[in-house]
Amino acid sequence: MKSVNHLSRSFSRLFKKKVAILCLILIVTIYFLGIFAPLIAPYDYNYQDYSAIREPPSWEHIAGTDFKGRDVFSRVLWGIQNTVIITFVTILSGSLLIGVSLGLIAGYFGGKIDSFIMRLGELFACFPDILLVILLAATLRPRILEFVRWIEDNTLIEGLVKSGTADYLVISLALVSFSWVGMARLVRGQVLSLKENEYIESAKAMGSSTSRILFIHLLPNALSPIIITVSMGMGSLIGTEIILSWVGLGIQPPRPSLGNMLLEGGSISAIRSVPWMLVTPGIVAWTLVLTWNLFGDSLNDVFNPRTR
Amino acid sequence: MVTATNETLLEVEDLQMYFPVTSGIVFQQKVADVKAVDGVSFTLKKGETLGLVGESGCGKTTAGRTILQLYKPTAGSIKFNGTELNGLKGNSLRAVRRDMQMIFQDPYGSLNPRMTCGDIVGEPLKVHKLTSSKSEYQERVSELLTIVGLSPYMAERYPHEFSGGQRQRIGIARALAVNPSLIICDEPVSALDVSIQAQVINLLEDLQEQLDLTYIFIAHDLSVVKHISDRIAVMYLGHIVEIAERNELYENPVHPYTQALLSAIPIADPVLEATRERILLRGGVPSPMNPPSGCCYERKCPDPDNSGDPIEMKEVSPGHFVAVAQECFDQYGCYWFPREG
Repeated sequence: MKSVNHLSRSFSRLFKKKVAILCLILIVTIYFLGIFAPLIAPYDYNYQDYSAIREPPSWEHIAGTDFKGRDVFSRVLWGIQNTVIITFVTILSGSLLIGVSLGLIAGYFGGKIDSFIMRLGELFACFPDILLVILLAATLRPRILEFVRWIEDNTLIEGLVKSGTADYLVISLALVSFSWVGMARLVRGQVLSLKENEYIESAKAMGSSTSRILFIHLLPNALSPIIITVSMGMGSLIGTEIILSWVGLGIQPPRPSLGNMLLEGGSISAIRSVPWMLVTPGIVAWTLVLTWNLFGDSLNDVFNPRTR
Repeated sequence: MVTATNETLLEVEDLQMYFPVTSGIVFQQKVADVKAVDGVSFTLKKGETLGLVGESGCGKTTAGRTILQLYKPTAGSIKFNGTELNGLKGNSLRAVRRDMQMIFQDPYGSLNPRMTCGDIVGEPLKVHKLTSSKSEYQERVSELLTIVGLSPYMAERYPHEFSGGQRQRIGIARALAVNPSLIICDEPVSALDVSIQAQVINLLEDLQEQLDLTYIFIAHDLSVVKHISDRIAVMYLGHIVEIAERNELYENPVHPYTQALLSAIPIADPVLEATRERILLRGGVPSPMNPPSGCCYERKCPDPDNSGDPIEMKEVSPGHFVAVAQECFDQYGCYWFPREG
């Protein structure tokens, strides 16, 4: 008989769910298209075809062209790339790195450290997410732009501003500022209940170091809710990033993003005359948010069998 | 049972463990102490088994954990092999922990469900860097599993695939990994059914013989304690009220609490069992948050609630000590035994 652990058992259960498989395929496809946009996209995102302005979908431009004759399909692919970069940076740094470690520390050590971290989190969480993100993005942008320009001037690195690094930094910082709170809270709660287990006490009795207890004993046992939250959080992060670009604080034109494409194609007159400008980015954005949420739902089902 | 040597392994003196009770949401203030362990003293010889009995909440588990420094004791001294443990930190504490280990009560909660049996047993080896190579590590893990009666191939399995008794064996193997001289067994058989209890107890006895171990055996099952212990300490309200050689304690219990406890052991003979007389105690155990000081159970003295005398261990016969408040005992012959109501 082969022994399998909790995670691999859960994942084998996950792969029996049709919805989960479908979501995973869609997510992987969209992310693949985004990551390899420079290779796949038929045109550059800035290339203007003056002979085909506001063209409906055709064989040459399969999703049509916009007001300036740019290929909508290519721009959507580049837009996905921005979304991929920003959401991954935010999830990795904000939720996973900051959120998980602060949650572990707060839950395990308790007392004053716990109070400090959680009150700090509440300070961030008491603003409405969107408002905080908009506020931060608006106030941080000039400083970060200045900082990135300073780096360009003083080092040999070139093209940071042009490649949109400043935009990524601004959006990621703004998103990180609130996304760590939920994760820290979740992990802290898990740790609070897990650390009462006797196996933690036995680890202490055998002389394990604190980091060993945190990362070998506590973290693996708290892993399933973390995975679920990351997957659920992806959907809302993508949504927030789109909204941010939509109000003009995210990715700056001419770089495309799903948000600013929706903004351009979203006016009444545009919907009447060039609906294809809205359709493709709209469908992609909608699919991304929906699939991440459904995928998170499926993960929740397999990791918490009791709630089924 | 191994006959105890004369070498003292552990010396506990006036050990106190108070847990603060706080109130207030933002600014917490200490309002009282729960006196879980309040002045426990005993010595333990190498190779000996000390049974620690008492009802739930009397502080026996806390005493065990405090000795292992899992809780920082409020006061008192714990000398292990001549080293004072109180105040040890970091590496020196870790070094001491190579010599004392614990077996836990709950075989389901004491094993990390995400680790394989082999990883659990081998963890102390990694923590203390006791093996130099991977093959040596694997060999040692197999050896430990064999010692406790499991098969080496089980190392790949996860805790949920074992039965309660097997899990307790894993816990024992983990405790043995560092070659300790003292093992504190915190009710190791309470969660097991009777036939498995016997297996585990026999295993513990065999191991003691083979590996020259010293046990502190915490339990509330008096027949189990009688079977395994050389000496027995009876705890009540954070104090040891009576401590004696096993046979002495079971044959000549002096303290009324010990007498009541012993009278509660069922006899495995229906005829005798029918005639067994039970001593029923009046009143209840006082709260350890605000315990009365006196010998109020026996009410022999005129002011039983208010005996301000310090509690002392009175030697009634060689090696047999009972808790008394000296003046009270001298004048009225009553033992320290506060009761509520």
